[in-house]
Amino acid sequence: MDTDDTAIEDGTEPTDGSRGDVPITGDELLETFPRYRDEGDVSVLEISGREASTVPNDEVLRPELAEPLEHDLYAHQAEALAALERDENVCVATSTSSGKTRIYALQIARNVLEARARGERSTAYVLYPTKALSRDQERELNDFFDRLGLDISVRVYDGDTDPGETRRQIREEADVIISNFAGVNTYLHDHDRWARFLSTCDLVVVDESHTYTGVHGMHVAWVIRRLKRMLEYYGADPRFALTSATIGNPGEHSSALIAESVTVVDEDGSPAGPRELVLWNPPARARADGADDDSTTAARTDDEADDAVVERVPASVEAPRLLSHLCYHGAQTLLFTPSRKLAELSVRRASTHRRDRSRYYANPERGSEIEPYHAGHSRTKRHGTEHRLKTGALDGVASTNALELGINVGEMDATVQLGYPGQRQSFWQQIGRAGRGTRRALSVLVAGHRTLDQYVATNPDYLLETDVEDAVVDVDNDAVFARHLLCAANELALEEADAGAFAERDRLERAVEMWRRAGRLAGHLETGVSYVGPPRPQGSISLYATSGEEYAVELADGVDERYDPEMEPLAEERVLRDFHEGAIRLHEGQQYEVVGVDHDSPRPTVTLRPTDADCYTRTRTDVTVLDAVSEASREIGEFTLHFGRGRVLVYHGTYDRVDVDSGAPKEQGIPTENPPLSIDTQLCWLEVPDALERALVERYREFSLEDEDGIAETGHLGYAGGLHAAEHATIGVAPLELMVDKRDLGGLATLSIDSHLERERGEDGRTDEAPRNVAAAEATVRQIADGLEHEPKSGWFIYDGIDGGLGFSRAIYENFEAVAGRARELIADCDCGRVDGCPACVMDDQCGNDNQPLHREAAVDVLDRLLGNESGEALEPDAAESEPGGDRRPPLFYS
Amino acid sequence: MTNRDGARLLALPPSAVLGRPTETLADVGATLEPDAVWLLGPEREAQAFARTRRAFDAPAFHPPLETSGEPVSRQPIETGLEIAVVRSLRALRASPADVSSALSDPCSRSTPIAVVCDDVTTTTRPMALETGLEGAAELAAALPPGRVTTVLTGGVPAGYDELWHLAAETGAVRAVEHEPAFACEPAGDDCVSVRVRGVGPVEGYGGAASLAVLELDETGVAAVDTHERSEFGLEAVSGVGPKTAERLADAEVTTRAELLETPVDELTNYPGVGRDGAHRMHRHATVLETGEPRRLTDESLPAESGRPPLCLDIETDGLSPTILWQIGVYDPVDDSYRAFIERDDPDDPAPVLEALCDWLFASHPDRALLTWNGWRFDYRHLGAFVARHVPYYVDEWESVPKFDLYDWAVREGHALLPGRTNKLEDVAGALGYESAETGLDGAQTAAAYQRFLRTREELDWARHEAYCEDDCRALWHVYERLRDAPRATDSSDTSPAEAEGATSTGTMGGEQTGLGDF
Repeated sequence: MDTDDTAIEDGTEPTDGSRGDVPITGDELLETFPRYRDEGDVSVLEISGREASTVPNDEVLRPELAEPLEHDLYAHQAEALAALERDENVCVATSTSSGKTRIYALQIARNVLEARARGERSTAYVLYPTKALSRDQERELNDFFDRLGLDISVRVYDGDTDPGETRRQIREEADVIISNFAGVNTYLHDHDRWARFLSTCDLVVVDESHTYTGVHGMHVAWVIRRLKRMLEYYGADPRFALTSATIGNPGEHSSALIAESVTVVDEDGSPAGPRELVLWNPPARARADGADDDSTTAARTDDEADDAVVERVPASVEAPRLLSHLCYHGAQTLLFTPSRKLAELSVRRASTHRRDRSRYYANPERGSEIEPYHAGHSRTKRHGTEHRLKTGALDGVASTNALELGINVGEMDATVQLGYPGQRQSFWQQIGRAGRGTRRALSVLVAGHRTLDQYVATNPDYLLETDVEDAVVDVDNDAVFARHLLCAANELALEEADAGAFAERDRLERAVEMWRRAGRLAGHLETGVSYVGPPRPQGSISLYATSGEEYAVELADGVDERYDPEMEPLAEERVLRDFHEGAIRLHEGQQYEVVGVDHDSPRPTVTLRPTDADCYTRTRTDVTVLDAVSEASREIGEFTLHFGRGRVLVYHGTYDRVDVDSGAPKEQGIPTENPPLSIDTQLCWLEVPDALERALVERYREFSLEDEDGIAETGHLGYAGGLHAAEHATIGVAPLELMVDKRDLGGLATLSIDSHLERERGEDGRTDEAPRNVAAAEATVRQIADGLEHEPKSGWFIYDGIDGGLGFSRAIYENFEAVAGRARELIADCDCGRVDGCPACVMDDQCGNDNQPLHREAAVDVLDRLLGNESGEALEPDAAESEPGGDRRPPLFYS
Repeated sequence: MTNRDGARLLALPPSAVLGRPTETLADVGATLEPDAVWLLGPEREAQAFARTRRAFDAPAFHPPLETSGEPVSRQPIETGLEIAVVRSLRALRASPADVSSALSDPCSRSTPIAVVCDDVTTTTRPMALETGLEGAAELAAALPPGRVTTVLTGGVPAGYDELWHLAAETGAVRAVEHEPAFACEPAGDDCVSVRVRGVGPVEGYGGAASLAVLELDETGVAAVDTHERSEFGLEAVSGVGPKTAERLADAEVTTRAELLETPVDELTNYPGVGRDGAHRMHRHATVLETGEPRRLTDESLPAESGRPPLCLDIETDGLSPTILWQIGVYDPVDDSYRAFIERDDPDDPAPVLEALCDWLFASHPDRALLTWNGWRFDYRHLGAFVARHVPYYVDEWESVPKFDLYDWAVREGHALLPGRTNKLEDVAGALGYESAETGLDGAQTAAAYQRFLRTREELDWARHEAYCEDDCRALWHVYERLRDAPRATDSSDTSPAEAEGATSTGTMGGEQTGLGDF
C-alpha cells in the first residue's frame, strides 16, 4: 500500500496534452505523486470553463479609444462603462484577471478626452489597499495610456512620496493620483492644497473594495464620506467605480461604503478555461517516519501551534512537496502560504523533497527554479520575481497573499494552497491565478488541521456553491463616527447641509453637542461648527481600532531591525487578549514574546522580542453579558432570535503556556495583570423554546463531568453543554458565510438569558453602577436570576468583540439560518466520535470554561429543531415527565 | 505687562515644574508676574509644590495639600479678591455644607469670585454620544442654586468655557450653554449653574505642556491665556529642546546669560548640537536678552527693493471658516488703512472678497501683499474663497505677489526675533510696538462674529475693526525693524543686557492651532 520511495521511473514525463493546457491533470497528479496513500483523503472536482462574451469596442467607446484597443471589450467591461456613461456608480465584482482595471482606465481616458475637448481638466483619485499594489498599478495604468497614445499622467502619492516639491507638483499636475485610505484620511486636512485636483475630480476608484470590512471597513466608509464632503465643497461630483472580488453582496457592501446607490456588474464576460480542483488532505503521519522528522518538527513550531491533536502530515510540509512535484512536471505553479516565513521555508522544502526522492525525480534540474515572494522583500527583488514569472523564467513561486491582490504576474498553469485561505472569495481569488485564457488549469488545496480546513476537505461541495461570503461593513458604530466627525469639522465647518448628508440629523446633533461639551467643537450648525481641539485630529484616527486607543508595536531595545514585525497598530481589545506581557505570538512565521505593554502613556505601546520557544500561550477569557436590549427580533419556528446592544465584560485574566508538540499545558493560570474590559457592543441572541429545553434536559440528564467544583451537580449539564457547543460552532463557522474574523466575535451560552437583559430602571432613573469586574458581574447575573419571577429563557449570545460593534452580529442575525446550518453540518459530520467534540468541531481554544461542558448531540438536537429538520426521535413525550418548577434550573453560563 | 487692573493667577501643571531648574521657574515668574501661583491637582505633588514655593515670590497653593483641615479654604489673590479652593471632590462630598457656607460667609470681607476644584472634568462616552461632568452631583449639592458659580479646574485644558446647568437635587445635567462669554445667566432656582473654565495644559504638537495665566477682577475671570513651557528659560532659545536643556542644567547652565558664557566649543560636546547650532543658540540668546532682532543672512526682506508691500490681515468666523468677514489692508506708502467688512449679509461671503479684489486690482495692480503666517492661514483661505466665490478673479489673485514675513524670518531662518513667542503681538511688542489694546484676540473676534451670524446681534464693529487694523500696523512695524536690523555676528562676545520681559521662543508648532496664536 505504501509505495514509499519506489521510483516510478516512467510516466513522470510531462503529459503532452493539448498545447497550453496544464501539463499534468489531477488524476495524473494522484498517479505520479510519490507515497500517495489513501484515496479517501483526496477528491478531484471538475469546474467547467466559460466562453468569452464580448462587445465590439466601437459600440461603447469613442473612436480614438476604440481603435487602439487590441481586443474587443468583455461584456462586463462594456456594461460597466455604459453604466458610468449613464452617470451611475458601479461595482464590478468579477473574477481575477477579468480586466477590471481596464474599466476604470478607459473611463478615466474618456473623462479626460471629453474635458480637454471643452478646454477643461478631469482628474481621478484611485485608491488601493496596499502601497505595493499602488506602485504596480501606476506602471500598468501609465503603460495602458501610452499604448492608447494618451498624455495622461498617473502618479502615486502616499507615505513613500518625497515631501515638498514632488508632492506639490503631483497635486497640481497629475491627472490621476493613486493613494490609499490612510493617505486620504491625512491629506484631507490640507484640502486647500488639493483644491485643483479635487475640483476637477470626475472619478473615484476604490479598488479591491471587498477588503474593506470590519473595523477597517467602517473607517474607510467614513473617510469616503469626508472625502465626498470636500469634493462637494470644491464643486466636484464624481462617480465611484469599485472593483471587488466575487462576494455575496457587492451592491449592498458598495452602497454602505460610499453612501450612494451602486450598479452591480457581476456577469463575468471574460473567458475561463476548465479547471480541475484537487482537495488534498495530507496522509496520516507514519509513526517512525525518519525522512520527515526534520521538516515536521520545524513545521510544528511554525504553524501548527493551534492544534492539540496532530495526526496528519502538516499542510506546511505537504504543500511544498506538491509545488515541487508540479514544477517537475512542467506546470508553472504558484503556492500560496499563510506567512512570510512559510513562503521562504516552502522553497527549501520543495527542493529537499526533490533531493529526498532523487530516484523518482531523476532529473534534479527540471522545474527547479522556485523562489519565495512576499512583502518583506525589497521592491526591486519583488519586481524581478514578478518579471521572471511573467516571462516563464521561473517554474514556481511560494508567495504570501501579497500575490492574491491584483499584481500582474501573468497567468500560471497551477496553484497550490497551503491551507484553506479562510474565505471563499479569497480562495477563488487565489486559484484564479492559474489558467491561461481558455486552457485547462489545475488547483490543489492542501488542507491543514484547522476547523475550516477540515470542514472544506470533507464538504468539497461547499466550495462549488454559487454563494460567496457577504462582506460586512457598518457605519453604526458611534465611537468611530464621532472621531471622523471631529476630522470633518476640522476640514470644513459643519453646517446644516451636513444633517442628512454626512449623518442623520439627530445623530449629528448629539455628536456635536457631545464634543461641544467636551470642548472639542465650537459653534452651531446654523452658522458653522468648528473644530477647536488639539491639532490634526486626523492623526489620531486609527484605521484599525474603534477608539483612539491603539497600541504601536515596537521591538525591544537592542533587537536587530530585521526582526521588525511591521505590524499594524493594535486595538486595545486585541492587546488585552493576545498581547499581554508574557504572551508568545506568531507573526509572519516568526515567534515573538511580549516583553512589555504600556497602557498609560499618551502613546500606548506593545514591546516585542523575537523568541524561539517550544510553547505558545493561550489566554483564558471570562465573559459575561449585561443589560442587553433587543432592537429587533424575529421568529425562527418556535425560536426567537434577537439583535440588539448590550454591555459585555471581558476579562482575559490568566493564560496558559502550551507545549507546541503535544498541545499539553506546561503551565496554567498565569495572571495577565490585565484590567477587565467593558465594551458596549452589538449582539444577537437566540432563545430556545421551553418545550425543547425541557425535552433536552431530560434526554441528557445523565450527562456529567468529572469536575469537582459543583457545576457537575445539576441535571441541566448535558443541555447546557449542547448550548455551549452550539455557541462555539456557530461562531466557528460564521466565516463560512460572512467575511468576518472569528476572533472579532465572542459568545456566551446561558440557561438564563433573562438575567443578562436590561432590567426595569429604578425610580430615580439611574441604573446601577457598572460592575467593576467579571466576578461581580457574574454575581449580579446570578442575583438577577434568583429574583426572576418567571422561568427564564435559555440560549446563547454572539457579540462583536470590539467596542461599539462591527455589524458582524447584525449580519449573523440576518443570516442565522445559514450559519446554523453550517454549524450543524460541522458538528454532525465530525468524525472525532467524542461527546464533547474536538478542536475541529466544537472545542475553542479561547474558551473561558476550558471547553466544559460541551455536548455535541444536544447541540445537533437544538440546531435540527431550529432548522426545521425532522428529528429521528420525538422529543415531546419526554417533556411531559418534567414537572414545571420542580427542577429549577441553575443560572449557568459559559463563554 | 505692567499696568493692569485686577490680579493675575498663574496655573502651573506639576509637569511644568518637575525636572526644570529653579532659574527657569524664576524666568516664568519674572515674565508673567503672577500675584498668586496655583499648582494644579488633583494629584498630590508635594515635591513640585515645594519647588514652586521656593521659585516664586507670589503666594502659592496646591489644592490637595491645603492643610487648613477644612474641605474648602479661601485663597486671597490680592486685596479684595479671593477664590475658594476645594481640596477634592471627596472632601466636597463629605461636607457640602462647608462649601456653601464658605461661599456665602457673611463675616468675610468678600465673596470668592470662583471655586477651584481640579477633580472637576468632562468625560466623553462616544459610544453613547454623551459628555458628562465629573463631580456634577457634588457641585449641585454644594453650590448655591439660582445663580452662576465659576469653577476653575486643571482637569480640563485652558480655553474650555462652558456653562453647565445642573438639577440642584440630583446633579443631572439640564442643559449646557456654549457661549458664557456672551450670556451667562442662571437657569432657575432649582438649578445650580456652573461655569466651568479650564486652566489645564493644552495639547499641542509637542504634547500637553502649556501653563495658563488667569486675569482676575472683581467680576470674575476676565481672561485665560496660555503659554508654552518652551517660552521660558533655556528652552526659549532656538535649538534648545527639553533634552538639551536638561543636559545643560546638569552642567549648571540654567539661564540664557550662562548659556552665552558657555563657549561654542563646549556646547558642541552635547549630543545633537553642531557648530552651526551652537552659534545659532548664542545668537538667539543674545537677541532674547537684548530685545534686538538680528538678520542671519544677506537675503533681502520680501519686497524690500520695490514699493513697500500692502500689509494684510483677515478675520474669520472660526478655524474652518465659512466667511472671511473682515479683510484689513494697511498701506505704508501713505499710511492709510482700509477695511472690507461684511456687516449686512453674513450668509454671502462673496461681497467682501469682491470689494477687496475690485479695489486691489484697480487701485494697486502692481503691489505685493505681506502677511504674518499667511501661507498657513490668510492666503490659504483667501485662495480657496476667491476660487469658490469670485472665480472670475482667480487668475489675477494668483498673480499677485504674496509674502509671508513670519515664513521668511522663522521657517526660512533669515532672522532671529525677540518676543516671548512668534505670535505677531508678542514679536511686535518686544520690538516696541504700542498696541491699540483692544483686548481682543483672533478667537474672540471669530466667536463674536459667529454670534452675529446666528443672532444678528450687532457687534462692536469699531473695536473689531481696530483689532484688525492694529495687526496690520504691527506687521509693518516688525517689517521696518527687521529691515533695519543688523546681521548677527558669529562670536558670543555680546554681553547680556538687561532686557525686561524680553524672553522668547524660537520654535513654533508647524501650524496655527488656535485663532489666538497670531
